[in-house]
This record gives sequence, structure tokens and C-alpha cells, in this order.
Amino acid sequence: MSDAALTHKRSFLSLFRLSLTLLWRDWAGGELKLLFLALVMAVTSVTGIALFTDRLEQALLLESANMLAADRVLSGRQEVPRQWITEAASQGLQTAETISFTSMVFSDTANLLVSAKAVSSSYPLRGELIAADEPFIRGIPVEGGPVPGEVWLESRVLPALDIDVGDSIYVGEAELRVGKVLVVEPDRQQGGMVDNAGPRLMLNLADVPVTNVIQPGSRVSYRYLFAGDEDTLDVYGAWLQEQSEGQSRLRDVRDESEEVSDALNKAESFLLLGSLFAVLLAGVAIALTAKRYSERHYDYVAILKTLGCTSNQISVIYISIQIVLAAIAIVVGWFAGWIIHHLILQILSSIIVVDLPPASFQPFIIGSLTAFICLLSFALPPLLALRHTSPLRVLRKDIDQTKIGAHVPYIVGITGSVFLILWYSQDLVLTSVLVLSVAAITLFLSVVSYLLLRSSSSVGMKAGSAWKLAMSATRRRRKQNVLQVLVFSITIMSLLVLTLLRTDLIDDWQAQLPENTPNHFLMNVTQSQVEGIQNFFDENGIEQNIFYPMFAARLNSINGEPPRSRFFDGEEERGNITERGAQQAEQGDADDAVGQESASEGSDSTGSRGRRPTRQITWTDILPPDNQVIAGQWWDANTPAGMVSVEADYARQLGINIGDEIEFEANQQTFTVAVQSIRTVRWDNMQPNFYFIFSSGTLDHLGATYLSTVLMEQEQKILLNDLLRLFPTIIVIEIDALIEQIQNIIAQVTSAIELISILVLACGALVLLSCVNATLDERFRENAILRTLGAGRKLILTSLLIEFASIGFIAGIIATVGAEGSLYYLQEFVFEQDFHMHYWVWIAGPLIGMVVIAMLGINSTRRVVNVSPLNVLRQL
Amino acid sequence: MIRTEKLTKTVPTSEGLLTILKNVDLDIAEGEAVAIVGESGSGKSTLLGLMAGLDSPSSGDVVLDGNSLVALDKEERAILRGQLVGFVFQSFQLLPSLTALENVMLPIELKGDPDARNKASNLLSRVGLEKRWHHYPNQLSGGEQQRVAIARAFASEARILFADEPTGNLDTATGARVIDLLFELNKEYATTLILVTHDERLAEKCGRKIKLVAGEVVSDRKVEEITHE
Ligand SMILES: Nc1ncnc2c1ncn2[C@@H]1O[C@H](COP(=O)(O)OP(=O)(O)OP(=O)(O)O)[C@@H](O)[C@H]1O
Ligand SMILES: [Mg+2]
Repeated sequence: MSDAALTHKRSFLSLFRLSLTLLWRDWAGGELKLLFLALVMAVTSVTGIALFTDRLEQALLLESANMLAADRVLSGRQEVPRQWITEAASQGLQTAETISFTSMVFSDTANLLVSAKAVSSSYPLRGELIAADEPFIRGIPVEGGPVPGEVWLESRVLPALDIDVGDSIYVGEAELRVGKVLVVEPDRQQGGMVDNAGPRLMLNLADVPVTNVIQPGSRVSYRYLFAGDEDTLDVYGAWLQEQSEGQSRLRDVRDESEEVSDALNKAESFLLLGSLFAVLLAGVAIALTAKRYSERHYDYVAILKTLGCTSNQISVIYISIQIVLAAIAIVVGWFAGWIIHHLILQILSSIIVVDLPPASFQPFIIGSLTAFICLLSFALPPLLALRHTSPLRVLRKDIDQTKIGAHVPYIVGITGSVFLILWYSQDLVLTSVLVLSVAAITLFLSVVSYLLLRSSSSVGMKAGSAWKLAMSATRRRRKQNVLQVLVFSITIMSLLVLTLLRTDLIDDWQAQLPENTPNHFLMNVTQSQVEGIQNFFDENGIEQNIFYPMFAARLNSINGEPPRSRFFDGEEERGNITERGAQQAEQGDADDAVGQESASEGSDSTGSRGRRPTRQITWTDILPPDNQVIAGQWWDANTPAGMVSVEADYARQLGINIGDEIEFEANQQTFTVAVQSIRTVRWDNMQPNFYFIFSSGTLDHLGATYLSTVLMEQEQKILLNDLLRLFPTIIVIEIDALIEQIQNIIAQVTSAIELISILVLACGALVLLSCVNATLDERFRENAILRTLGAGRKLILTSLLIEFASIGFIAGIIATVGAEGSLYYLQEFVFEQDFHMHYWVWIAGPLIGMVVIAMLGINSTRRVVNVSPLNVLRQL
Repeated sequence: MIRTEKLTKTVPTSEGLLTILKNVDLDIAEGEAVAIVGESGSGKSTLLGLMAGLDSPSSGDVVLDGNSLVALDKEERAILRGQLVGFVFQSFQLLPSLTALENVMLPIELKGDPDARNKASNLLSRVGLEKRWHHYPNQLSGGEQQRVAIARAFASEARILFADEPTGNLDTATGARVIDLLFELNKEYATTLILVTHDERLAEKCGRKIKLVAGEVVSDRKVEEITHE
């Protein structure tokens, strides 16, 4: 190495050593500590949340595979060419098939319509079957389904047919032995209506030809199950699409099982939003502390420059400091983020039952990049300004530093952070909420500060002297104060948005499924059975609910026109538990019902094919709970027969308005009703819900079946056996497990949300602290001067209090407006909640801003007044 | 060693251009000790800053050891400063986060000299602070701080030393001791010394005295000439 190069290297090393020394020694100074904390916060929240979502995603994939009994499914009404299946196997995929159909089964004494499912011996590919040797017990996991010659039955079929395990029954022409009681079937919720019409009977695929029940024209649902690694599945999926000319597509379960995934999706969005706010706030804290740090280092740089340091060497020193700081912060943040994600997983452990594969490295990379982008965006601009410091400062302290294009580098910062947020969230809506709200506040304040600067005339100078002092101080630091208001507004806004959103989400979930939500549906109840059932429950001390009469009615016309979905043609309608249950109850008329009602197959799109949608209708005098009339009026005592109340979304879809005449057809009779009200319905409350409710007397009760709900605890469930023995024709849909699952999810997800709220709160506190600290130097100087001029401690304290309180108050107002605006946007477009104003926040927001900022301000500036003015002036 | 040619500095103010220095022509030979005196606001510090290349003139030029400063940009001037120039300021200008020893080592290390520690500790001993190596500036008195600053100024083996009122913040006795030290070292290292001061007695210690009034050189004489009169 040449001498020059060696010297060069040595001087570089000494620069680096100098950075480490400065980093180490300045640590006590405060700014670096805050900067470091802010970086750690950013890395922690991003790494933690990314780790969590990463693993949650994997967990959901696994869970959803269980719900499909496979990784992918191909389903249809027809058999597919054999070659499609052999191709899958030859590509290395596992395969299985199931055929579902409805069939009457016979015992010696009774018969019953069941939903039969024939499964191949490799079924299920994912998840497990749980079976028992007697009905109404929990059962244990078993390998594979029934062997040829055997059927497995759902518990309630046994009392209905009056048989025991080991007896034989007839399925079509085949006599099959009851081998086990089927308790859980992984893909029970999947498939169309055929899969859900009646209790389950499971048999081996090999027995299907023997039964001879599948005739040309029979309604049969074929499902082909595939499992294997993602790449192979993708390759096969593509092959299949090509082979079928786009007619057949492999499905996964992401878009199924709405109730469960909905809460998790919202929670995921919330966590994401929370971490975005955390990054934003951490970024602001970084910007503030970096600015103050570099302001304090102008003199250092000037001295270094007189000693011969070039601008580049200055940059090397300060960038090295940041890199070292960032590196340590990243490691600490990784660790803290890992703990956070573990805490969340711990909280959610009962939802995520599957064993998670280890986390990938990506979250750690995202976390590190966050630190660097935060630094680049927020800390680099003021630090780069340092390199322009004039060495003349050693001679003249007042060399104007702010002249150095102070605003330009922030464009880099803004671009950098938007990019960061967008890239990390992969969510345009969330990003735009954040960017727009911050931009709106900034713009507003820029205008205000411009106006303030123009009208520099004295305001309110006649007020008391503390006010006078506060006012003149506020005016003197106009620019700085506007910046403070900006920072405080953004911080308070972030905290308000998260708090309000959190409260709204949790309230909403709790209202969705309150503590004592009925967890069993009773369907297919005839009018003559109603009283008997009511007595049965009375005797056993079980509270019961309204029995809704229910009718399947075909919608013939609206104002004489055939109904046509105007806006959402072809869109699948909501999976609604009432309609789904009703399909099960329609067993006597199953074949007819298939064509009309099949929620998962999009019955409304049939409207455009000339078929008319059939709906479950009811009549009642009492507006069902969770329904809200949004147009027209609910019945009163004087309402005549022949009126109808329509569900709001459905009304919009079909273009139904108040006063429209709708013709229905049921039992070969047509009748016309007039629309009197439009209701919103809470579809996710797991309770009877109806698109159409008629006024009393419109239809007589003849031919209607009744629907009711009942809350039965686990230990009361054995009563179902007696109930079904007494009333063998009724159908009981047990949703207790589902409700419990959702309630559980909500409770866990709530805790996860609280956790991230705390994290963001910590970030917010950090920002407030750095912002107050940012003006400390100047306040020290000013107040020292004021005090040497004879101003008393009390006067200065009062003036400071007024100054901070008014800044906090103004920031509180702006934050409240910003928060409500962002919330509107978020709830409308991301969280699918009804936005409503939070009136109390309009008072609380400004008040909180005022009190918190005043307290924080006084607390950190108390030193300012307590320190002897002489000391301050000597130091400066 | 230092030559200024029609050195002029004007700054824009709200009342138009303000001329701080006007056509200053000086020629300072190697090893000379020059005092710049004048009333407050006469432009002494400005002149010093221009000669050291901390600032650039509005017109005219400074030639430092044969290098025209006008021809150099900021960075090149910084490098030249590192090789050629040492400073002592009224307000000491030590880095508060570094110890006395580290402050003195800094310019030596920046040159890539591996022997920084030795040289710095020798210099600190030379200024009488061998026991205060690991003290921070705020643990030292003003006089001690200024002695550290002097040690630092000589550490980089500078050939020109600029001192802007080095005794301004010190009491008379301490100031006198600091000045003695400065002149001793100056002689020892044979540096060229430019000393800005109000203090007439201090100015007398220099071989030459330049007086500024409102940015113009009004007298430039050898000290012997003055005392003779
Ligand atoms: N950047 C500048 N902008 C405006 N005025 C300046 C600037 N730099 C110097 N001046 C003015 O030029 C004049 C000379 O300043 P300078 O600091 O050189 O004086 P000085 O002789 O060192 O005074 P002192 O003895 O008080 O240190 C002063 O009136 C000062 O206000
Ligand atoms: Mg001066």
C-alpha cells in the first residue's frame, strides 16, 4: 500500500473512531437516546407486526386447508375426465374424491332424508375425521372414512331411525352396516346446499354404484381434493385451466368461511394500521431529535472544519454515527419485535391451533429496512445540512444556519416515508389514509402560519402580563410553534384514530355476538309442534325465543317487471345462516330448492337466466333485534295485511323502493305486497334474519314451518336427544361451536389490538417528549434573559403554561377533525363499519391536548426556570 | 507566507451592501508575529477569517504559502487548513465531548499520523497539563482550556497560527501566562503568528502591528518603529 493510501486509510479510521467517541459521549445528551428509542420503536413495531402477520398467514393457510380437507378443491355438478385426476397424481399431488347427494335411508321402522357423502379411501387429505362408537359423545380422531359396506352417521340420525351402531340400514339398494357415529368432518361447511340438506351419512365411494341412487339427472356434487406443495399445485392449477379451457378452476378456502376470517382480517388491518402509525410517529420523533441533534452539532462541525475536515469527512462522521446507532437499534428492535409477536401469538394461541412453521426472515429484513428508510427520510436531511456548516461559526455564533435549504431535503423524507409505508403495508387504502390526513393537516397549518406571519400585528396586548408574555413568546416563535402544533396534531390524531377505531371495533364485535346468543336453530317445526316444543323447553328450564313462521316464496315481479339484479349481477350473495338453515329444512322439496336456493352458488345470478329468486319469508309484528328501519315505517296496530319490509342491501340490489308492489309465488298461489319499510339487518349476528318480512295476516299459517332459536349450554345438549325423539321431524342446527369459536376469536383479537395500541401510545409519548425538548434550548435562553430582566419565576411559569396549553388546545382541535376524517375513510373503506361521529371526542380531544401538552411542557421546562439565569447565559 | 491583494468583503444587509473590509493589502513573511488591532467592529475577525480561508472574499485574494485561496473551493481550503493552519480562539472552541488529550490528538489523527497519542501527550505536558489528559473541557478552567487549545493548534504542525483574542475570556494574570506560552511555542516551532487583539501590551509583543479602522488598514508598522517614536 502506498504511503498516501495508508495515510488516507488511517485518517478514515480516525474519523470512524471519532464518530464512535461522539456517539458514546453524546449519549447522555438526550437526543441520541431519543433518536435511538424512536428507531427501536419503529423496528420493533414493524418487525413484530410483520412477523405476526407472516405467521398468521401461514396459520390461516393451514387452517383453511383443514376446512377444505385439502389444499385445493375442484368441484362441480359433473364428473371430470379421469385423465385430470391421473395427471394430478402423476405430477406428485395427493388426490381424493367425494360425491355428495341427498337420499332417503330406511331402517326397519323409519326413514329419513339424509345428505350422503361418499368418500374415497384417501379422504381427508388435510384435517381429520372424528368419530365415536355411540351418539352424542365427543369422539376421537380416526384414520380415513368408512370402509366399503359401512356407513357412518351423524348422532341425531340414530334416534331418528331408531337404530344403534352395528345395525344395518338401506341406502338406495345397498344394505350397509352402521360402523361409527360421525362427529366432525373437516369440510362439513363446504360445498353447496346438497352437502347441507339434512344430517350426514358418510359411505365409501366404492359403495355408490351398489346403492344405485345416482341416476342421470340426479343432483350430485363432485369434489376432487388435491394436496401437495404450493408450486406443484400452481403448475397443476394452470394445466387444469388450460385443459378445461378456463371452465374449471382449483379453489382454496381464502374466500370461504367468512365469519371467522372477517374478525381476523379486521384485526390484521388494525395491527397494520397501528404499526404504520407507530412508524409515522417514530419517524416524526426521529426527525425532531435529529434536527435538534444537528443544531447542537453546528459548533462541533465548525471546529472540525477549522481543523481541516472537509464536508465529506463531516458526512462520514455523522453518517457513521447514524449507521452504528441504527445497527444497534435494529438488533434491539428485532429482539423486541420478536417478543411482541410472541406475545400476540400467545394471546391468540387458542385461535391458532395448528403448529406454526418457523417465521421467515422477511420480517427482520423489513424491520431493518424500516430503520434505514426512517433514518434516510427523517434524520438524514438535518444531518446533511450539517456538512454545509460554515467554519466561520467559530468567529461569529450568529451565522445563519437555517438558510441552508432546510426544506428541500424533507421532500426526500416525505417521498421516502410514503414509499416505506406503501411498500410495507401493500395496502393503498391504508397508505392513502395516512398520507392524506398528514398532508391535510400540514397544508392547513402552512396556510395558517402564512396568514399569521402576514398579520404580525399585536393581538390581545391588553390582557394580563402573563398572557402578554405568553402571547409575545408565541408570536416570537411563530414558525417553531406552528411546527409544534403540526407534530402534536399528528400525534394526537394518530392516537385518537387508533383509540376510536379500537373501541368501535370491539363494541361492534361485542354487539355482534353478546354473551347469551342463542346457539341452536330449530327448523322445520310445524305449527302443531310449536306448543309441545315450548313446553319441553319450559320443563327443562331453557329460555326460548320467538318462533318465526317461514315460507319459501318465489319473487315473481317488482312493479310488474321480472326481478333483475341491477348492480351486483353475478355477485355471490351473503352466506346467511337463516337461508342456509332453511335449505337444510327444505328436505322434502330438496330437488326444487337446489335450483332456487344455493347461497354459495349465487342464486341471484339465476335471475338473469330467467329463474326467479326464492327467499325465505316470514311475518311478525315485532321488529327483530339488530334490525333497523332506514326508510318507511315499521308496522303499527293499524297496518293492514299485504305490506312488506325489505332488507336494505337487497332492496338496493333489486332497485326496490318504498311503495313498490312485489309479487310473490308460494304454494302455487301468487300474492302481491306493497313495500312499507326498508331495514338494515346485521347478517353476522348468527340469528334468524330475513330479506322479506310481511305484515301479519298477509299469509295464513297453513303450510308454513317455524324457525326458532334457543340457547343451550354444553351440559344441556344431551336434551337434544330427547327433543329429537319427541319431535323426530324437526331439525336442530348446532352453531354453538361456531359461536364459541367466533367469540373466542373476538376476545383474543381484542387483546392483540390492545397490545398494539399500547405500542403506538408509547411512540406517541416519545414524539411529544422530543417535540417539547426540541425547543428547550431556546426556552432556556429566553427565560434566562427574561429573568435577568426581572421577570419572576411565577410569571414565567404561568406564561409557559399558557403557551403550551394553547398549543395543545389548537393541536387537539386539529387532531380531532383529522381523526374523524380518517376514521370515516377507514371505517367506510377498510373496516366495513358504519361511521358515526364521536361527539364526546370533539370536547375530549382539545381538552386532552391542552392538559397533556401543558403538563408535559411544564414538566420539561421546569428546569428552565429553576436553573439560575447566570448559569444559562454563561453556557450559551 | 501570507499575502492579501485588495481584499474586500461586503455583506448584504437590509440597508444595502455593507462594506466590512476595503482593499486590504498585506504581506506577512514566514515566521513573523503580527498583531491586528482595532476597535470593536472594525473588521479584525473578518480579516482573520478571510486569511485563514474560513470565508471567501467579495473581491481580492489571499495567497497562503503560495496558494491562491480564490482559486480553491471550500473543500480544498479545508484541506489546506488542515496542513498549514492552527487556530486559537477567544472562546477556546474545544469539542466538549472529547477529553483534553483527544482534543489535541484530533488534528494529528485527521492527518493520518499513527503517532498521534505520543505527540499529543508531549504537547499537553509542554503546556503544563500532563495531569489533566482525561479531563473534559467543562472540567477545566478557562486558562486550562485555552492551553489545551494552544496545544491543539501546534499539534498539527501548523506553519501559520491564527489567534482571535485568545485572552478575551481570561483574567489578566491567566491571560498573561497563556500569552507567554503562545509566544514560547511560536518561537520554538517557528510559526507565523497572526494575533487579533484589543490589548495594546499584547500587540507590543509582536514584531508588527496592523491597525484597522472601519475595515481599512490605517497603519502597518514594525513594533520597534512604534517604540522609537
Ligand atoms: N455576515 C455578516 N453580516 C452582517 N454584518 C457582518 C457580517 N460579518 C461581519 N459583519 C459586521 O462587520 C463588522 C466587522 O465585524 P468583525 O467581527 O470583523 O469585527 P471585529 O473587529 O472582530 O470586532 P470585535 O472586536 O468586536 O470582535 C461588524 O460591524 C459586524 O457586525
Ligand atoms: Mg472579533
